[in-house]
Amino acid sequence: MNFNFSFAIEIVPRVLEGIGNTVMIAIISFIGAAALGLFWELLRRSHATVRPVVQFVIDAIRSTPALVQIYFLFFVLPYYGVTLPALLVGSFGLSFYYSGYMSEVFKAGIDAVPAGQSEAAQSLGLSWADMIRFVILPQMLRNVAAPLGAYSISILKSTPLLAVISVPELLGSALDVASDTYRYAEPMFDVGVLFLAMSLVAVAGITQLERRLGLTAPSH
Amino acid sequence: MALQTNSCSGNAAVTMEQLCKWYGSFQVLHNVDLSVAVGERIVVCGPSGSGKSTLVRCINQLETHEKGRLIVNGVELYKGMKGLAELRRDVGMVFQQFNLFPHLTVLDNCTLALVRARKLARDQAEEIAMENLKKVRIPEQAHKFPTQLSGGQQQRVAIARALCMKPKLMLFDEPTSALDPEMIKEVLDVMTELARDGMTMICVTHEMGFAREVADRIIFMDSGRIIEQAAPSKFFKNPEHPRAQQFLGQMLH
Repeated sequence: MNFNFSFAIEIVPRVLEGIGNTVMIAIISFIGAAALGLFWELLRRSHATVRPVVQFVIDAIRSTPALVQIYFLFFVLPYYGVTLPALLVGSFGLSFYYSGYMSEVFKAGIDAVPAGQSEAAQSLGLSWADMIRFVILPQMLRNVAAPLGAYSISILKSTPLLAVISVPELLGSALDVASDTYRYAEPMFDVGVLFLAMSLVAVAGITQLERRLGLTAPSH
Repeated sequence: MALQTNSCSGNAAVTMEQLCKWYGSFQVLHNVDLSVAVGERIVVCGPSGSGKSTLVRCINQLETHEKGRLIVNGVELYKGMKGLAELRRDVGMVFQQFNLFPHLTVLDNCTLALVRARKLARDQAEEIAMENLKKVRIPEQAHKFPTQLSGGQQQRVAIARALCMKPKLMLFDEPTSALDPEMIKEVLDVMTELARDGMTMICVTHEMGFAREVADRIIFMDSGRIIEQAAPSKFFKNPEHPRAQQFLGQMLH
């Protein structure tokens, strides 16, 4: 079986049917992972007593395969009466998995804010929440912009995992083409090229954003 | 010339009784007794590692003590207490490294706690901020970011930021130690003026000229203990403790 380039071009419209979902899943999962990751990190910092518990959760999230977590959610949630569209379950699964990594990014980002900043905030009598919101987080964002950008691309590239729970995304639509035509090389090639293109666009966008925010060089 | 002492009122701004603190197994404060009257100007000096910073940082609980009592503005402080943020609003703190918020303008550095903690309206907060920036002679820099200012200017902003809260007590932790020599004076001038206005001040500093001019009392610390305290005239002329004599010998030459 030879690689048929014109066939690869011909099936592009069918493969592309999944791209909207792919992008949507990536965006939802990125936002979800960042929000949940920040939540873990703030919870981990809030009290010495909850710290080991949160740490265990984060370690557990990071030490089990994303695919297993996604299957687990997909098949276990309905037992508890929660039936959500596969796309949402999948996005939540990816959010959950990457939140473990994001929390470590936020940890490093917060640790890199000098201790004097929180001391100054405390000595002014700011509440803990105000200190985090107005003093620590804005400075942390500068520190985490680059790793967050890298994870956004990791998340994008993980969206095909949701094909296993029948979410109609890029890989899913490519597999549909494959099972109709019994040709796998071309659909997979298309998927690869499309991910390459999306990643390149994302990288360019992130670089542009960092430049506009003045984040490319340390500001102090 | 020493400024007029203002310790006639019996109110204590700070009272420490047998205060002890450990870092792990190392004891940094040994049974410290200290009473600072309202309006009093205290300079704390001593060799590095003697516990002066720790002493001052205990007063707003950036460090917590493990033994003894600490009463600040009439309220006893202890580890894990509630309402600490509120009490801290009455205690201004100026750090060696300024610790201005780099992502906020000078003005916003000053207004943040007024708006968020004191719950003032934005324009009211800005008015207070500008007043205090004028007091430290830097109102024209209000819309700049801290990194655009010199060290001396940054430290004056830090003083203004603390003053905005109308503190009853100001703590200075080596405020001029990170400054170039020519900038030290502009900061000390502001501090001297503050002292003249009757602010209760506790300053950790190596600026002996400032201590001589402004302090009502000098506290000399060594190895976590207050080993001598006296009016500057006495402290500089004939210190009693040999460790203080040795320290002054090194400082004044």
